[in-house]
Amino acid sequence: MIGVFICQCGTNISATVDTGKVAQAAAAMRGVADAESIQYACSDPGQAAIAAAIRHKRLDRVVIGACSPRMHEATFRRALDRAGLNPFMLEMVNIREHCSWIHSDVDQATEKAAGLVRKGIARVRHHLPLSAGKTAAVRRALVVGGGIAGIQAALDIAAAGIPVTLVEKSPTIGGNMARLDKTFPTLDCSSCILTPLMVEVKQHENIELMVNSEVDDVHGHVGNFEVDIRRKATCVDEKKCSGCMICQEKCPAKAPDDFNAGMGQSKAISVASPQAVPLVASLRKEHCRRFSGGKCRVCQKLCPAGAVDYGQQDEVVRQSFGAVVAATGYGFYDWTGAYPTYGMGLYPDVITSLQYERLLSASGPTGGHIRRPSDGAEPRQVVFISCIGSRDESVGRPQCCSVGCMYIAKQAILTKEHIPDSQSYIFYIDMRAGGKNYEEFARRAQTRYGTLYIRGRVGKIFPRWGKLVVMGTDTLVGDQVEIEADLVVLATGLTASDGAGGLARKFNISCDENGFMAEGHPKLKPVEAEAAGVFLAGACQGPKDIPATVAQAGAAAAKVIGLLSRGELETSPMVAAVSQSKCSGCFKCRDVCPFGAIEDERPAAGRTAARVLASLCRGCGICSAACPPGVISLSGYTDKQLLAEVVAALR
Amino acid sequence: MNEFVQTIKQTFKEVDLVLGWVRSPAAGVAVPACFHTPAQADDAVFDSTCMHNLVVHLPRLAGKKVGIVAKGCDARSIAQLVAEHAVDRSRVIVIGVHCPGMIDVKKAWRCFGFGKRISDAGGRVAMEGKTVAREEVLLQKCRGCRDWEPVICDVTAGGATKAATAPPAEPAGIRKRFAAMSPAERRQFWQDQFSRCIRCYACREACPLCFCRDQCAMQARDPGWATAAIDASQSWMAQLIRISHMAGRCSGCEECERACPVGIPLMLLLEEQNAVIEELFGYRAGAGPEVKPPLLTFNIKDDAWGES
Repeated sequence: MIGVFICQCGTNISATVDTGKVAQAAAAMRGVADAESIQYACSDPGQAAIAAAIRHKRLDRVVIGACSPRMHEATFRRALDRAGLNPFMLEMVNIREHCSWIHSDVDQATEKAAGLVRKGIARVRHHLPLSAGKTAAVRRALVVGGGIAGIQAALDIAAAGIPVTLVEKSPTIGGNMARLDKTFPTLDCSSCILTPLMVEVKQHENIELMVNSEVDDVHGHVGNFEVDIRRKATCVDEKKCSGCMICQEKCPAKAPDDFNAGMGQSKAISVASPQAVPLVASLRKEHCRRFSGGKCRVCQKLCPAGAVDYGQQDEVVRQSFGAVVAATGYGFYDWTGAYPTYGMGLYPDVITSLQYERLLSASGPTGGHIRRPSDGAEPRQVVFISCIGSRDESVGRPQCCSVGCMYIAKQAILTKEHIPDSQSYIFYIDMRAGGKNYEEFARRAQTRYGTLYIRGRVGKIFPRWGKLVVMGTDTLVGDQVEIEADLVVLATGLTASDGAGGLARKFNISCDENGFMAEGHPKLKPVEAEAAGVFLAGACQGPKDIPATVAQAGAAAAKVIGLLSRGELETSPMVAAVSQSKCSGCFKCRDVCPFGAIEDERPAAGRTAARVLASLCRGCGICSAACPPGVISLSGYTDKQLLAEVVAALR
Repeated sequence: MNEFVQTIKQTFKEVDLVLGWVRSPAAGVAVPACFHTPAQADDAVFDSTCMHNLVVHLPRLAGKKVGIVAKGCDARSIAQLVAEHAVDRSRVIVIGVHCPGMIDVKKAWRCFGFGKRISDAGGRVAMEGKTVAREEVLLQKCRGCRDWEPVICDVTAGGATKAATAPPAEPAGIRKRFAAMSPAERRQFWQDQFSRCIRCYACREACPLCFCRDQCAMQARDPGWATAAIDASQSWMAQLIRISHMAGRCSGCEECERACPVGIPLMLLLEEQNAVIEELFGYRAGAGPEVKPPLLTFNIKDDAWGES
């Protein structure tokens, strides 16, 4: 006895599909005991009508023609459950996204909807009651990335009593926020608000911090991810090093300063910054004299703790986690190749906003005094250019970096505070100051700090008599502008960070066209990745400022806590099953299974057959396609069901 | 006692039985045989009428340790079965022979008449005074053979020199006609071919890779992709199931076509499919016992489709 319910979805469906006619057509089919059109099937009265029909007409399976199963399948399964039916005796037919929304001709759309429902009815006849299993979840979370997003997520999860492993690829946590001088719109000192959190991470009893580490390989699934974490060899024993920096002082090999965005110089062995957490030195072999064939052993000789060990090897640790938070943050757009008229990076006084941030910072290479890189002079005229590698179709990057307008306003304000007789110019496209107190802040940059905003693009930058000539257009005045600048700061856009794509692949996270990780639903699942048990926090999901990042990290932590607090997870019953008496033991299924969910078993002497580990199976169905005699099938998607659908579609 | 028989006899130290050929006294050509004792192997022969692929028996002899005489192409079937875990490599002794290129006995009989001893020497095939050029009666698969050297082999038992094999593979006869057909003509062609199918499943029984046997999807009632009706469309569907299950697995031994009592040119379909697989994945079925067939691989970075 099949019940068919066709949802009108207000006018979403009924505007282009005659739901009454579709119900009529369904009523004529074999086994259909009830077919009706409902205004909103998902509403309380709609669900009540379905439940009433199940009871009164003794329905044992239900077809609902409505929206995508991704929207409401769970809703209707619960409705069936409440009415006393097995929740998996439901078939949802999508006549909204697949029909009404994409067609305009009522007759044709109605005919198509009737056809789709006919397929659903043919399929539901072969439904079998299924029941969900339970699997234990490992009560431990992995957070990948130690920027503000990862720090916040780790602290929030740890505060709920769930152990966390925080993996960071660089030698210190803190990420990009640790490199900022002040933060908009309050001008809080960035490290003053960040370092207490960094220290808390280090000291928290529930947090295991692994710096210089990366995720190597991932197996398993929600509730039990088995993750290989590679601790890269740094030639320094983390437990012995006290961070005294004697090695850095005496090291004869110069090396680029990553923390200062290349603005200063560091040594082959160094502590990332004075506020690094953990405060431990690490050695970069590619710059070290000993590793490039020399005999130097200065650091080892001078280290008072005896922490330097040149023979250290990468170490791979395998840990199990119930849930994962990806917080890989962002990188900055590399402008040098794409903007040839700005000098391709050849003019030392054309720098990026992050480099300028380091010049402003008291912990930076200039001790917080603004000195331009070429001659160390204090600049008087500073030009900021917005939207470098963002909102620029010509370099293939249409998206807004969402923080550029604000951080240039901040840098212009700070410039004036550092050098009161300086003048800042900002070339902008549009002012985007949507956050709380943002507009007031940007306005203050103009009124109180005298920053001149010029609406337009810069066409060319070239050096003349020790200055940089910035030629641009003022599109409001409609005139050419030429400014003699001492320093030019490019507001480079935000990109997905290096290696985020590789990590995304390992955890089956999909990425959007800009390389940022994709959330489950743009409105309703902003922190869930497509893969179950994987959550996103911060700028890895898209460019965002610090408050939004912290909020999302908290949200991701809440999801992890919710997932792991119950101790066990419900597994989908829609997994593969083997008819062992028919299995020939060829194990093609095991070869193609991406989740390692199939093992061999000896059901009788002398023969082996496949067996599905239901807790590992994700229901992808590759095995059932690979099995030549078709004796391994996906519950809920059996060949019988699919063939019935095909036959109904071709009728 | 010749060297070939000697080699087979020696393998009995390790195996329970040996699969090979004896000469049929009635038909004068080689027929498959199973030797259980060294004495039985006295009659073993290998000549250019040993066209059968004996590997078809291997999956059914899973409990035994088996010696098998294998030509280059047969060895590829063994390698594919080993790669698919259908045959335990440690339980098979492959007696490799160098193949001179096999004579299509049916073709030969059409030239000479049935049942006389066929001789093959000096590039001519002869029977009772009549002779014909070797190329005329060669099996299709032997034209352009790439498998003179068995890919998997434990003992070598002689055979022909390489020079004797491999005339060029040029589309001729039905292949030439088929290649020139339009899609509509091809449809009609297969419609006609499969209207002759009697659903005897000899194609499946002769195929060394069709080891599902009783569970074969061609005949399955659940969900019944094709009915058992003697009807061109149903037979065609059933055969397409078998062909698609051969994707990346068929070593092109031609046994299905040779076994077909009504002469449906099944190899046209399989050759086309094999060519596509080779082009896409650079894979020929039976490349080696360790090589993983592409369709049995889950590889997230699969670049065969030009996707990154």
